[in-house]
Amino acid sequence: MKKILFLFILSLSLSAWTPASRSERESKYILKETKKAISSTFKIERFLLEQETILLTSSAFLTEHSIFKINTETDSIGYAIVATAPSKTDSFEYLLLLDSSLSLKKVKVLIYREDYGGEISSKRWLSQFLKSANVDTYVYGDNISAISGATISVKSITASINDVMDSLRTLQSQNKI
Amino acid sequence: MLFIIILNSLFFKTRDSTFVQSLFRLNKNSKMRKTLTLVLIGLTLCTYGQNTSVQDTLQISSNQRILNNLAGIPQGITLGGYGEVLYNKPENLNAEIDIQRLVLLFGYKFDERVQFVTEIEFEHVKEVYVEQAFVNYSLTSGLNIRAGLMLVPMGIINEFHEPTIFNGVERPSLDKYIIPTTWREIGIGLSGRLNSISARYQAYLFNGFLSHNGESGLLKGSNGLRSGRQKGAESTMSNVNFAGKFDFYGIRGLRLGLSGYHGKTQAVDGQNEIPGSQVGLSMLGLDGRYTLKKFSARGQYAIASLSDTDLYNELTGRDLGSKLMGYYLEAAYNVLPFINKQRLVGFVRYENYNTHHAVGEFISKNEAFHRKEWTLGFSYHIAPGAVYKMDYQTKSTAIANTTKGQFNMGVGIWF
Repeated sequence: MKKILFLFILSLSLSAWTPASRSERESKYILKETKKAISSTFKIERFLLEQETILLTSSAFLTEHSIFKINTETDSIGYAIVATAPSKTDSFEYLLLLDSSLSLKKVKVLIYREDYGGEISSKRWLSQFLKSANVDTYVYGDNISAISGATISVKSITASINDVMDSLRTLQSQNKI
Repeated sequence: MLFIIILNSLFFKTRDSTFVQSLFRLNKNSKMRKTLTLVLIGLTLCTYGQNTSVQDTLQISSNQRILNNLAGIPQGITLGGYGEVLYNKPENLNAEIDIQRLVLLFGYKFDERVQFVTEIEFEHVKEVYVEQAFVNYSLTSGLNIRAGLMLVPMGIINEFHEPTIFNGVERPSLDKYIIPTTWREIGIGLSGRLNSISARYQAYLFNGFLSHNGESGLLKGSNGLRSGRQKGAESTMSNVNFAGKFDFYGIRGLRLGLSGYHGKTQAVDGQNEIPGSQVGLSMLGLDGRYTLKKFSARGQYAIASLSDTDLYNELTGRDLGSKLMGYYLEAAYNVLPFINKQRLVGFVRYENYNTHHAVGEFISKNEAFHRKEWTLGFSYHIAPGAVYKMDYQTKSTAIANTTKGQFNMGVGIWF
């Protein structure tokens, strides 16, 4: 019982450190993680993010998103896309980094809110999307392996990335990006 | 009541574009939406904070900045469920047709950090249980505190038992006789993920099995610990038990689990001072699941070691074993192309488990408790979340000429 009491006190103490607004915190966190990922993926330190006004086609697996053009002082080197996809009972945010030719350079789960299915945040698992980057479509179970116990979120992020890539290619063919 | 109906209408209207679509995936199904509105009328009675949640949602929406990307589900109710209707025909006996279980999931998200999850289970139509009821408090993305009625993390099926995610009409028998699925007790603990090493951890303090209710001993040789589950119902507690699990999924297609449980059973007041009323228990579980394209395989091993069983058996007249052991291996193959939404999975499973793997000095091993089963069949997933199943089982024991067959069919859903 003492152990249980200790855990309760521990949880309350930890919660006292938490800032009031989680949403604001999450926004800042997403921006920080996005910048960090851009720096390490493209090996640059100075860049600007310019939000695109044009949007992708929303779908059941792409409920929200933002597109940013990554600009250096002289050049535009690619895109950062932050997208929202559904998990079993909630939603999660993930980041895609692409070069100017829309080749996928990085996939990262930024915020996963639910305990169930969080295995998709695994760096090793996400690296499959880069190894299969030349294919038109990612297929769950084929070029994207399953994760036991996380089927719903695995299917969701696979479908979501497919939706992003399809929509991006369409925009590119129309010279809109 | 009128107020509640108006409130729910408002709830749907204001959240239609993001919340309801992403939560219920029902943007094209107005009938279901009406049904859910009716359900929500009932649920609203116990969620008086609904009116504020609408305001909060709007407030959060207006606060969204920088990325305008966090719509998700700031707050709200989740509905879900799973169920299975089964037909079992043992050799030379009548068939049994049963709604084996129907489980309704309700979740409520108070804010982005605090979520309540409960599952109400109807077994055989008429028995009602609460299968889970806990509050999850997310401290960071990798650390949650959970408290309430929770599933004990042991093996695969006790945590992942929805009918669309395991093969076979019936759950593996190992997960009935050695690991007493659905094994749940009230407790508190930590869970989370370590993304850099592709791992998940869980560590809980739980209430344990009830071994003596003051009148008789509940644990016995035929089904081990199963009858001692307290399930959170006016449960008695004299000893804290520890349960933990570590899952590793860093090798593509493979998921490995290591589970541990250690503690002592409970006896009611006045009984727990009598020697033999309580037994010590340590359980170890190893499980693995592997998927490669259309092929999948899984296996599980569990061993439980019990102490003071001689004293317990002497006091109660029971025949509880001092070691319980079991394992199963299963291989499966989906014969349909990947591009199909449907899957037709053929499988074969072998199980070997023994609730008298070892016994104390004063009882002898009952060979009928050493059971072996073969199951051969298929799961036809007609949609993600809906499955038809059919299989044939042969069941035998360590006693010669005891093999019996059983034919099973079933339909299962999970949403």
